Amino acid sequence: MIVEMKTLFVAFFFILSGVVNAATGEYPLADVDIGQDEESLKRGAMIYYNLCRMCHNMKYIRYQHLAEIGFDEKEINDLRGDKLASTKFMSTASDENITELYGMVPPDLSVMAKARKKGPQYIYTLLTSYYEKSENIYDNRFFPNIKMPDIFGYSVTMNDAEKLAIENQAKDVTAYLLWASDPRAQERKTLGVYVIGYLFVLSLMFYFVMKRVWSRLDTH
Amino acid sequence: MKKMIGWIDRRFPLTSFVKHELTEYPTPRNLSYWWNFGSLAGVVLVIQIITGIFLAMHYKADAAMAFDSVEHIMRDVNYGWLIRYMHSTGATAFFAVIFIHMARTLYYGSYRAPRELMWWTGQVLLLLLMATAFMGYLLPWGQMSYWGAQVITNLFGTVPFLGDELVVWLRGDFVVGDATLTRFFALHYLVPFIIVGAVLVHLVALHSVKSSNPSGINLADKDNIPFHPYFTVKDLFGLCVFLAIYSYFVFYNPNLFIEADNYIPADPMKTPLHIVPEWYFLPFYAILRAVPDLLGGVIAMGISVMIFAAMPYLDRSKIPGGARYRPFYRVMFYVFVIDIIILGYVGAKPPEGALVPLGQVATLLYFGLFALLPFGSKLEEKWLRKRGLPEEVEAMIQSEEKQKEDRRQRKADRRNARR
Amino acid sequence: MAEDKKSPENPDRRDFLTTATGVMAGAGVTAACWPFVSSMNPSSDVLSKATTEASLKGIRAGEVKTVEWQGKPVFILHREEKQIASMEGDGEGKDPQKDSSRVKNPDWLVVVGICTHLGCVPSRKKDGWFCPCHGSVYDNSGRILKGPAPTNLVVPEYEFVGSDKIIIGKKQA
Repeated sequence: MIVEMKTLFVAFFFILSGVVNAATGEYPLADVDIGQDEESLKRGAMIYYNLCRMCHNMKYIRYQHLAEIGFDEKEINDLRGDKLASTKFMSTASDENITELYGMVPPDLSVMAKARKKGPQYIYTLLTSYYEKSENIYDNRFFPNIKMPDIFGYSVTMNDAEKLAIENQAKDVTAYLLWASDPRAQERKTLGVYVIGYLFVLSLMFYFVMKRVWSRLDTH
Repeated sequence: MKKMIGWIDRRFPLTSFVKHELTEYPTPRNLSYWWNFGSLAGVVLVIQIITGIFLAMHYKADAAMAFDSVEHIMRDVNYGWLIRYMHSTGATAFFAVIFIHMARTLYYGSYRAPRELMWWTGQVLLLLLMATAFMGYLLPWGQMSYWGAQVITNLFGTVPFLGDELVVWLRGDFVVGDATLTRFFALHYLVPFIIVGAVLVHLVALHSVKSSNPSGINLADKDNIPFHPYFTVKDLFGLCVFLAIYSYFVFYNPNLFIEADNYIPADPMKTPLHIVPEWYFLPFYAILRAVPDLLGGVIAMGISVMIFAAMPYLDRSKIPGGARYRPFYRVMFYVFVIDIIILGYVGAKPPEGALVPLGQVATLLYFGLFALLPFGSKLEEKWLRKRGLPEEVEAMIQSEEKQKEDRRQRKADRRNARR
Repeated sequence: MAEDKKSPENPDRRDFLTTATGVMAGAGVTAACWPFVSSMNPSSDVLSKATTEASLKGIRAGEVKTVEWQGKPVFILHREEKQIASMEGDGEGKDPQKDSSRVKNPDWLVVVGICTHLGCVPSRKKDGWFCPCHGSVYDNSGRILKGPAPTNLVVPEYEFVGSDKIIIGKKQA
């Protein structure tokens, strides 16, 4: 009886999840893997710094943080010039100018990769979904009526090579944004190996001590 | 060392207390792993308090600084990311452990006499935990924090006559704002220590009536074994397994339980598309939305949390224990669990289409099961008696009847003696 | 620990396992304390303020610029020839110290602008500094000449970066 109930239980659960997944019908997220290798992060950082930073702040990232993704001291000094290393990455445009142009202040990108479901895929898909709706009018298939311009020029690419180049740039800047949203991710995963490994071993040890302790019950 | 303890023992019942309540404390030998979850809950409480205090050293409970201070903890504070993720995962772990703990109690009938007070102190603990979690969720001051608090504090407006003033009084402002944040922080820090006190009362009650066991039948004294070392080591083993699972989430999927919208700083001008509470509130949220009338929904939600308290009286069966010897009750239990999962799913989605009637049916089923129990339990008892009960169960019922008879006799004797 | 009978087959092995488990568990608990203790140390944004950059551009000879370092005022004096010359030797106050040991480049004096008596910020005078609180007088090497202050003005750790910038303070790991 109990076995049957439990089976019913589990079966029900599976069916339910199947129903759930079939229901939603939105624009599909690109099935892209965003790595975190240093080269990609450096390129992505420079794309943000030169391109995105025209409109978007990243107030939780400072020049000094670039050292964490492979920039050496000279490169950081060159970038910041007279500004202190502790200066935050704020956009080069003023709030009023930007709001006049686009009707809103563009969101800060520091935690954007965590602020959307499947953040990295979201960002990448958004950047590579621009298309030319009509003569000189662009729009975004993933985010219709988006206010952000087609900064990479994806909608006006002439051939596959150009498309690929932009897709790689999008991957790089997404990788950088992913790092920026969670700069301690690498450290976290490494520490996790040791902690879980330790707990696994300790569980095993406690298991055998427990068996030994409980075996005394039957000898009475 | 022994001399120091001896010195203390002459002035304070240290050794005798430890012996009586821990080392030699009699525990049924057949307790299964489902009995680990009480001590696990205690451990999670300690984890939350410690991580919480260290977070409070860096957190700023000010609407203009709260979100930034959390990012400061995540990025600048040494191991801040670890302490923060432990605390957020710990909240989920707390509810997971407590729900399993409650399920064990319901399944095995551990809420029944003489353990009603344990069940009710547990009910109080659940309410305190829900309040703490609700207030804690406001603190990161993300979009979901803000709007979740806005929606739930709004519910107090349904109280007749006082409603609107009550809401403003709770918030300290006309909308959720800086005043709300500061007081929620103060209370979020305080209530866990009230929980500690309530846990102590819960444990005193436990040590008075002692643990039930999977058979639901009072075991003979010879079937008890000392808590130490048998259950200390079993609890420690269970704890290690729990910590391994907990650590998986902390280190490899910490954002699974953090709504993406909560990484957007709170914006009182813009409501998110879907306001979703944390998973552990979802079933009750679904019940709230299932009733078309606002006040009705609030009342239904309140009852859905409080109704557990009535269990010792709703269950009228004389068959001792829980589901083990009671097939009808067992079916009801499983149906209840499935129903809660359905309610949770409905609570997570926007209330549209087929989900609306589904939520309403699930809500009716939820309360229906509780309503059915008084009659169902009696019918089941009749049927089981006719079928014939196992010996131990018969013996147990006999002894309970005898005890009641003895008590009645003694009362009558005392009355006669006075005349 | 309850006095348990040692099992007849392997008494030592059981003790070893239990002891080893206890040690493992203890090590884990100890290690688990570290992140919490560490979190109370200065965070990385505070540590980055352990050093401050100061530009020497535009400070004319004879002028003093005051910058903030770790919340404290630091006097940067661009010394003229005659000021440097008059500072040679050990100084005339109660805390003799060679001027050459107080500067890296004799043209520049960098001292923490906090009086070593009771902590007030001295005011600039032509021949040095004068503390208005209790009348301590310092020379153009920051050495105490007269007054209640016991020691010379503190020379912080600093480094020249090129010829027109200094970094005050020691970089933390």
